[in-house]
Amino acid sequence: MENFNINIAEILEVDDVNMNDQLSSFRCWDSLTILSIIALAGETYNVTLSAAEINDSKTIAGLKEMILSKMK
Amino acid sequence: MIDKNNPFSLLDKNILVTGAASGIGRTTCIVLSKLGARLILVDKNQDGLTSTLMQCESESIPLQIDLTDAPSIKDKIINAVANFGKLNGFVHIAGKSYIAPLKSVTEEKCLEIYSLNSYAAIELAKAFTNRNVYVGEKGSIVFISSVYGLVGSAANVGYAMSKSALHGITKSLSIELAGKGIRVNCVAPGFVMTNMLDKASGMFDENYAETINRLHPLGIGEPEDVAYSIAYLLSDAAKWVTGTILNVDGGFTAQ
Repeated sequence: MENFNINIAEILEVDDVNMNDQLSSFRCWDSLTILSIIALAGETYNVTLSAAEINDSKTIAGLKEMILSKMK
Repeated sequence: MIDKNNPFSLLDKNILVTGAASGIGRTTCIVLSKLGARLILVDKNQDGLTSTLMQCESESIPLQIDLTDAPSIKDKIINAVANFGKLNGFVHIAGKSYIAPLKSVTEEKCLEIYSLNSYAAIELAKAFTNRNVYVGEKGSIVFISSVYGLVGSAANVGYAMSKSALHGITKSLSIELAGKGIRVNCVAPGFVMTNMLDKASGMFDENYAETINRLHPLGIGEPEDVAYSIAYLLSDAAKWVTGTILNVDGGFTAQ
């Protein structure tokens, strides 16, 4: 999960993120941002995510866990 | 029994079809074979080609080509045609979708999509017009673009680039190749129920299917809807049609 925080901060249009941050609390949070996370997961971590799974993960930590669990 | 005098008949026509291993490509092969065309089925996926071949009703051969490997296309087609017979036309259906918002778009991925969806069309046209490949008269080229080559949609810039490029290629080649008796047209489909659409649907929420349906006054299409329009453009019934972008989209672009 190298550079996960940097990559996700770039997508969320902030300088950095905290693991407890709620995904839906970011100003840019919308369907296009979700698509960007799907693209990041696929291209960088070779993991397929759905929009529902991302929404269900709720926080940065939850999202990271979700991706990690699919990488195994 | 196919009536040879029917202008929609494809009897005795040799047609090469790319993307033949699945989706619209496979259905098109089956439809063209029923209309009498002999086919060269092109795809990267050998198993898919074999499956399509078994469903075709006319004499057809598989030809495995990676269309993103541009330098290999011409020689492989010339070699195949040497045994199969010269071509009356080809259809370029092979393509990939690329759903990504602007901030996720990469040059590498855009070029990959462009290479298959757009540039391969030019290489295929170069191969087709070779004197050892083209039968010499009444030629027909059909490209498959998309409504998203015509209208905008979010998270689609890379795909739209590749599909709108096909419209320019169609117009230019229709002028350049008219003197050789070759017509060049393009079909721009709306959403068609294929595995590619299924795969894209998984990226969105449960309202996605309903949203897509609403965009089509006649509902989401079947692969056959596109295949029949391709058959028309390949046939002599379309002998005065060239440089056209034919929207086959259930009314998507009528709105």
